Amino acid sequence: MSFKKMINSMLMMSLLMPVLAFGQEKLTGLQIIQNVYDRPTGKDQTGELTMTLINSRDDQRVRKIRQYLKNFGQVEKKTMFFISPADVRNTSFMNWSYDEQGRDDDQWIYLPALKRVKRISSDSKSDYFMGSDFTYDDLGDRHPTEDTHNLLREEKYNGESCYVVESIPKEENYMYSKTITWIIKDKWIGLKKEFYDEDDDLLKMLTVKKYEKIKGYWLILHSEMSNSQKDHKTDMLLENVQVDVGVSDDNFTERMMKRGL
Amino acid sequence: MNRFFEKLITKQWLILAIVLIVTILFFWQMKQNSRMETDLDEYMPQDHPAFVYSNQAEDWFNIKDGVIIAIENEQGIYNSGTLNKVKQLTKALQKMEQVHKDDVTSLYSADNIIGTEEGLDVKPFFDRVPDSDSSLSKLQQNVRNNEMVFGRLVSTDEKVTIVVAEIGDDVFSQEFYHELLDLAKTYEGPEKLHVAGRPIVEGTMAYLGPRDMQRMVPIVIVVIILVLLFVLRSVKSTIFTLLVVLISTVWAFGLMAAVGIPIYAVSTMIPVMLIAIGVADGIHLYSHLFLFMKSNPGVGKKEAVLDMLKEMWKPVVMTSVTTAVGFISLLTSEVYPIKYFGVFTAFGVMMAMVFSLALIPAGIMAFGLPKIKQDSKNIGEQGRAFTAFALFINRHKYATIFVSIAIGAVSIFGMSKVWINSSFLDKFEKDSDIVLTDKFINKYFGGTSTLNVILDSSELDAFKEPAILTAMDQMQQDVDGSLEVVGNSFALTDYLKRMNKVMHADSEKYNIIPDSKELVAQYLLLYEMSGDPENLWQVVDYNYQKANVTFQLKSDNSKALNSALAAIDRHLGNFKNLGVKLNYAGSGYKGLVFSDLILEGQIKSLILSLIIVIALLSFMFKKITAGVIGAVPITITAFISFGVMGLFNIPLSTTTALLSSIAIGIGIDYGVHFIERYKIYAQETGDKNETSRQTMHHSGRAIIFNAVVVIAGFLVLLFSVFPPNRALGALVSLNMFTSFLGTVTVMYVLLYMSNIYFKKKK
Repeated sequence: MSFKKMINSMLMMSLLMPVLAFGQEKLTGLQIIQNVYDRPTGKDQTGELTMTLINSRDDQRVRKIRQYLKNFGQVEKKTMFFISPADVRNTSFMNWSYDEQGRDDDQWIYLPALKRVKRISSDSKSDYFMGSDFTYDDLGDRHPTEDTHNLLREEKYNGESCYVVESIPKEENYMYSKTITWIIKDKWIGLKKEFYDEDDDLLKMLTVKKYEKIKGYWLILHSEMSNSQKDHKTDMLLENVQVDVGVSDDNFTERMMKRGL
Repeated sequence: MNRFFEKLITKQWLILAIVLIVTILFFWQMKQNSRMETDLDEYMPQDHPAFVYSNQAEDWFNIKDGVIIAIENEQGIYNSGTLNKVKQLTKALQKMEQVHKDDVTSLYSADNIIGTEEGLDVKPFFDRVPDSDSSLSKLQQNVRNNEMVFGRLVSTDEKVTIVVAEIGDDVFSQEFYHELLDLAKTYEGPEKLHVAGRPIVEGTMAYLGPRDMQRMVPIVIVVIILVLLFVLRSVKSTIFTLLVVLISTVWAFGLMAAVGIPIYAVSTMIPVMLIAIGVADGIHLYSHLFLFMKSNPGVGKKEAVLDMLKEMWKPVVMTSVTTAVGFISLLTSEVYPIKYFGVFTAFGVMMAMVFSLALIPAGIMAFGLPKIKQDSKNIGEQGRAFTAFALFINRHKYATIFVSIAIGAVSIFGMSKVWINSSFLDKFEKDSDIVLTDKFINKYFGGTSTLNVILDSSELDAFKEPAILTAMDQMQQDVDGSLEVVGNSFALTDYLKRMNKVMHADSEKYNIIPDSKELVAQYLLLYEMSGDPENLWQVVDYNYQKANVTFQLKSDNSKALNSALAAIDRHLGNFKNLGVKLNYAGSGYKGLVFSDLILEGQIKSLILSLIIVIALLSFMFKKITAGVIGAVPITITAFISFGVMGLFNIPLSTTTALLSSIAIGIGIDYGVHFIERYKIYAQETGDKNETSRQTMHHSGRAIIFNAVVVIAGFLVLLFSVFPPNRALGALVSLNMFTSFLGTVTVMYVLLYMSNIYFKKKK
C-alpha cells in the first residue's frame, strides 16, 4: 500500500466514521414511524368511545360506542356497538384489518331495525370513519411502507422531546400531499399531526390531549381531529379502557353483532 | 324676483366659471371614486325577513347557484373518450380558484349507492376511465339503475351528461365566464360543450345591460342633438340645452361618487331620466325666447333674456320641484338602489332647473341671442296649425273625453294583466347563445333554475320521522308530477328511498320511505360510514331539524316560479299538522320577492307622488281644480304605460317598473307649462278662445318639440342588442307621446270646460 493510498483510505474512513456512528444513534424517519406502528397496544382491549362531531356552527352530535378489539396476529378485529343515540342503539359494526399490504379491510354492519347483517365495502382507506374527521388511515391503519418518511428535526413540543417526521405518500393522487407528525421519543406516540392537501395547504390537524400507560402499554385516550378547511372537528374520548382481559373470539362474529349489548 | 334676475344676468362669466369648476370637480370625483356594484345580493334589502331567512338557509345547506357545463355526444356518452372528458373537466373545474373542490358534481365525482349481494356499497361510478366494452356497459347499467343520477347527471337518451360547478354569489365575473368558455372549448370535438346556469345568466345580464347602455346613450345624445338643431334651429340653443342635461348628469354621478355610493344597475337609468326630463326646460325657455323675438324684432339680448326669465321661471321651478318630489317619493321603496336612484335623479332634476335658469341666460349673455331666420310664413303656418288644432279639439270636446275614458278603461283592463317578471333569462334575445343553451339543457335535464323549500321543525331528529319524510316525498311527487315546468326534485327522501331499495336486493317495492324511525336513523348512519357524509348536509342539517328540498325548474320566469310555489303551498297544511314550518330560499325565490318589492314600492311611490303633485299644483296655482287637472297627463301616461304592458304581455321588470317615474316627471312638465301659459293668456286676453289659441301656439309648440326630441332620441334604443333596453326605449317614447297627447287634448279640454281663470267674466 502506497502512502497515497493509505492517506486516501484514512480519509475515507474519517469521512465514513461519523456517518456510521451517527446512524447507530439516530433513527431514520421510516424507523420512527415503524416504531409508532409497532408500538404494542396489548392483545385485546375493551372500552367506551365517545365521539363528538362538531360542525362550524358548533352544533354537536354525540355518539357513544362500546368497542372490543383483539389482535389475531395477521388480522386485527374490532367490534363496535352503538349505545346512543337511541335510534341507532345496538347498531353494530365489525372491522377486520389485515397486516397484508394492499388488502382491504372487511367490514360488516348490523342494523337492528332491518335485523340483518350487511357487508359494507370501503374501497378506500381514505373514507371518513362514521362521519367523523378521521379516515381509516388516520385511525392508525396506514402501513409505514406506503409513505416516504423524512426526519425533519427534533424539538420540544408540549414539554416532550419529539421527532418531527414528514411523510410523503408514494401513491400519486393520495388525499394528502404530506403529513407532519410530532412523535414523543421513547413512547412512540404521535402527539400532533398535520395533514396537507394536494395544494400543500393545511387540511387537518390531529392533537392528542391525553395518553396513559395502561398495563404497560401507551394508549391514546383523548384526541381531537379538526378540519380547518371545513371548519369541522371530531373529539374522540376513550374511557373505561381495559387491556389484556382475554376478550373472547366470539365477540368478532355476526352472531355477536346481532345479539347487541 | 325680477331684481334678482337683472343682477343674475350681468354675472354671466362668473356663472359659467362656477359651473365649469364645480363640474370639473364632480367629474374628477366620478373618475376617482365611481364603482359599479354587480353583486345582485347587494341590491336586496338585507333585513327583509324573506332575505334574512333565505340567506340563512343558503348558509345552512350550502345552497349556491350552479354553472352547468353539458357535454353532448351524438353517438352516446359511454365511450372512453367522452368519459375521459367528463373526468378531466371535473378535475379542471375543481382546480379553479373560484370553485370549491367539493362543489363540482359530475358522473365522475358522484357517489353511486348500490346494493350488492352482501349489502350496500357507496363508491364512485368510475375512477379510472373504463375502456373495455364490458366495463362501459357495466357503467351504463349502473347509471340507468340509479334514479339519483339517471336523468339528473346523464340524460335519459344517454347522449348528454353535465358537470355542475356551484359557485358563490360574489364569484362570477366576465373573466371567469370567459375562462369557463375557453375551458369548455378545449374539450370540443366530436363532443359539443354547452355552458349555462343562473350565475352565467345573472352575470352576463349585469354586464350586458349597462355596457349596452354605455354604447347606446351617446347615440341617443347625437340623435337628440340633431332633432334639437332641427326644432330650435340654433347651434347655440342646442348646445346649451344639452349642456344642462349633461352637466346635471355629471353632478348627480359626481355627488354619488363623492358620498361613496356605488353605481347600481338601476343607476344607469339616471341619465335616461335626466335626458328625457332635462331637455324640457331648455326647450320651453328657448321656445319662449324665439316667440318673443318673433313678435319683437330687433330686441336686445338683455331685454329678451329678462322677459324669458320673468315669464318662464315659475313653470320651470314648478315643473322641476314637482318632478323632484316625484322621484323623492321613491324613498318609500324598501330597495336601497331605488332609494338612491330617486334621490340622485331628484338632485339631477333640481340641478337641471338651476342650470336652465342660470346657465342658459348666462350663455345668451355671453355668446349672444340665437339667430332666427325671418321665415314668417312658416311661423304663420305653424300658428295656424296650432289654432286649427285647438279649434278641432274644442269642437270635439265630448268625443275627446269619451275617447280618453275609453282608453282609460282599456288601460285598466290591460293593467289587470300586468305581471312582474323576475326572470333574467327572459331579458335575452330568444336566439341568443345563453337562451339556446338553457333550452338545450332544460330539454334533457330537470332544469337550470332551482327553488329551495326549507322545512323546519322545532323537534330534534324530526327528519328521521317516517311521517314527515313521507309528507316530503308526497310533496315532491305531487309537484314534480303535476307541473310541466318542474323537472325534478332532490331531498333527503331520495337518499333514503335509494338505500331502502338497494338494501332490499334492488326491489322496486322498497323504493319508498322506510317505515320506522330507527331504520331511517340506521340507514343514515350506514350512509355516513360508507359514503360522503358531506353530501347529506346539503339536504338536512346536523340535528335533523331542518331539511332542504330542491326543485329544478325549466324556467326562471315568475309565472313558472309562482306555479311551483302554489303547488308546494298545497302541502302547507299537511306539514303544519306535523309541526313543520315551510319556507323558501334560493336566488330565484329572492329574485321573485325582490321584484314584488320593487313593484309594490313603485305603486306606493306612484300613488304618493300623485297626491303630493296634486297638492303642490293646487298650492302653486292656488286652485284645487288646477291641481287635479294638472295631474291628468300623469295619470293618463301611467295608465296607458301599464295598460300597454299588460295588453302586449310586456312583463314588469326592475327597469320597466321604474318607468312610471318618468311618466310623472314628464307628465308634470307638460301639464304645468300648459296651465301656466293658459293662466297668463287668460289674464292677458280675458277671452277663452284666444287664450286657447295662444296657449296652443306657445306651450303646445314647446311641448311637441320636447316630445319629438325625446321620442326620436329614445327610439334609437330600439336598435339595442339588449331586449330590456329596447323595451325601455319603446316605453319612454310611448310615455312621451301619451303625455304630450294627453296634455293637448283631454287636459286642455278639461281646462277649457272648467272655466278656471274665467269665472269672473262669465
